[in-house]
Amino acid sequence: MATTKHSYSRSKLSGELPFRAITLGAFVLAAALLFALFVIIFEKTFVLWSVESPLTFLLSSGWSGTVSDAGVLTAAYGAWPAIFGTLITSLIGIAIAAPVGIFAAVYLVELAPRWVAAPLTFLVEIVAAIPSVVIGLWALGDLSPRLRDSVEWWVASTIGQVLPILSEDPQQPSPTSIFRAGVVLAIMVTPMVAAVSREVIRSVPQSLREGLVGMGATKWETIRLVILPTARIGLFGAVLLAFGRAIGETIAVRLVIGMDNVEVPKSLFKSGTALAPQISVGFAEATALDLGAIGALGVVLFLVSFVISALVRVLVWRSARNLGGGR
Amino acid sequence: MKSKSGLKSADVSFSLDLTERDVNRRRVNRVMTRVIQLSALLAVIPLIGIVLVVASNGLPGLSLEFLTNSPTDQPRGILNAIQGSLIMTFVALLASAPIGIGGGIYLHEYASERTMRVGELVIDVMLGVPSILAGLFAYFALVPIIGHSGWAAAISLTVLMIPVVMRTTQEVLRLVPVGLREASLALGVPRWKTTIFITCRTAISGILTGIVLAISRGLGETAPLLLTSQSSNDTVLDLGSRMNSMTVTIFTWAGSPDPQFVTQAWTTALVLFTMALVLNVLVRFKTINSRVL
Repeated sequence: MATTKHSYSRSKLSGELPFRAITLGAFVLAAALLFALFVIIFEKTFVLWSVESPLTFLLSSGWSGTVSDAGVLTAAYGAWPAIFGTLITSLIGIAIAAPVGIFAAVYLVELAPRWVAAPLTFLVEIVAAIPSVVIGLWALGDLSPRLRDSVEWWVASTIGQVLPILSEDPQQPSPTSIFRAGVVLAIMVTPMVAAVSREVIRSVPQSLREGLVGMGATKWETIRLVILPTARIGLFGAVLLAFGRAIGETIAVRLVIGMDNVEVPKSLFKSGTALAPQISVGFAEATALDLGAIGALGVVLFLVSFVISALVRVLVWRSARNLGGGR
Repeated sequence: MKSKSGLKSADVSFSLDLTERDVNRRRVNRVMTRVIQLSALLAVIPLIGIVLVVASNGLPGLSLEFLTNSPTDQPRGILNAIQGSLIMTFVALLASAPIGIGGGIYLHEYASERTMRVGELVIDVMLGVPSILAGLFAYFALVPIIGHSGWAAAISLTVLMIPVVMRTTQEVLRLVPVGLREASLALGVPRWKTTIFITCRTAISGILTGIVLAISRGLGETAPLLLTSQSSNDTVLDLGSRMNSMTVTIFTWAGSPDPQFVTQAWTTALVLFTMALVLNVLVRFKTINSRVL
């Protein structure tokens, strides 16, 4: 009796282990791919570290390396212009996208009548689905000249006369600029801020709203005193997520920033470069040392995006604990 | 609607005793409501701009020949780019769908609390990896061995598509009621069969959503393809050689000094944009269905 029972349960379990192993294998494979991605890019940078210290690489500018006839390597690669460009363009992007995206989400959840909210949500999220090269083409052919002749021209001929960081010759504007790359990034990440913020604001308990309305608060007071403060961790996460997306954007930025990697530009209205686009150029005639430097840019980009993703995940865990489930 | 009724009640109570402070509060409320409405408008204006400009610049070049001719024909067409994009994305999907679905099932159905947390972190980091790095990875790992090829591109796309499928799978499995699983297990159905035939079947439309999202991501990527499949005028569809794609075609033609190429970049963008739009509308309807579960 016992033996039959035993074999019975074993036959029932026969598919259990293989299935478990297959699904575990799939997960391990994915994690291994991520690990391999980092290791393989990191490994390519060793040749650079043998001649240039990481700190010099991060903080200097320039992009040249030679191998002399005697086989002596000299390297003067600097990531600083790219790091600077990535930071500035992403910050411009976030400075625009954060308020617009969060307020758009507030509108969708708190103010919009239902017949407006549903289609508007759809439209905002469609922007996130447009391939970046299409946005890049639009930015290059339509947005960039418009910005040059409106905002940039106006700022350059007023404030720019005093502040060197906003200066530019209004008669001969640069065909590409860091500022325009920032605006393009703003357009690309606003839907992301709006979508995540919308979920966060929706999860604010209804009773909190009712409490304030009961005390005679206006709509704006409810938003400012209860909704935004309650949702602040989630909103911060939304902005952080968008920042991570902005630093990784390659093609749209490459089309409008000008790819000038020699030194840090003196004005926001001049051409510059950024990490991700810089990685995508110069493969045709790259030496092993050049590739090492490109790999090093990749390592910097990977580490920054890793830290941001991990931070967002920690925020999600924390807010889940605070609210007792729900994201 | 809500804001309007709010303003109306304000008008009514205006006849009561209102201090200057209350009037001020109402004014601030009105101004901020406008600011918020304006923000929502600002968030959609780019979409309107993009749709109008892409359509007006791209439509004149759109013809049947454009979709069925190769780049070397007269008039020039983008057939091999469309085929290349579809083939590379499809191959990447063949790899990323099973890995993503399997991994998602493992994380939600089998993993311990701790493993699940690690898994969520892995998915987040993978989702956040800039696409250019997936290209760089394939360039360093595969291009020295197999050269610039469709295979290298497909593998870089796989890295980008896996987390999309895995995240969606995991999220949608969470929505399946525990009672369904318990009922099945109570009937003596083994766990793996329950997972496949009860849990996953219930969640199938959500899993499909993840797959469509992954396809949409794969079709829209440019940066990794620049480093791996590059571009080609070849109409021979061989994954072992360089392959054309819509995104790289747009990118290359966009920077061309020849205005005819630029016009055709717009037309290609129109084709790609339409595809992305169709896929996303599809996802919309799918998610609406899966909410009902």
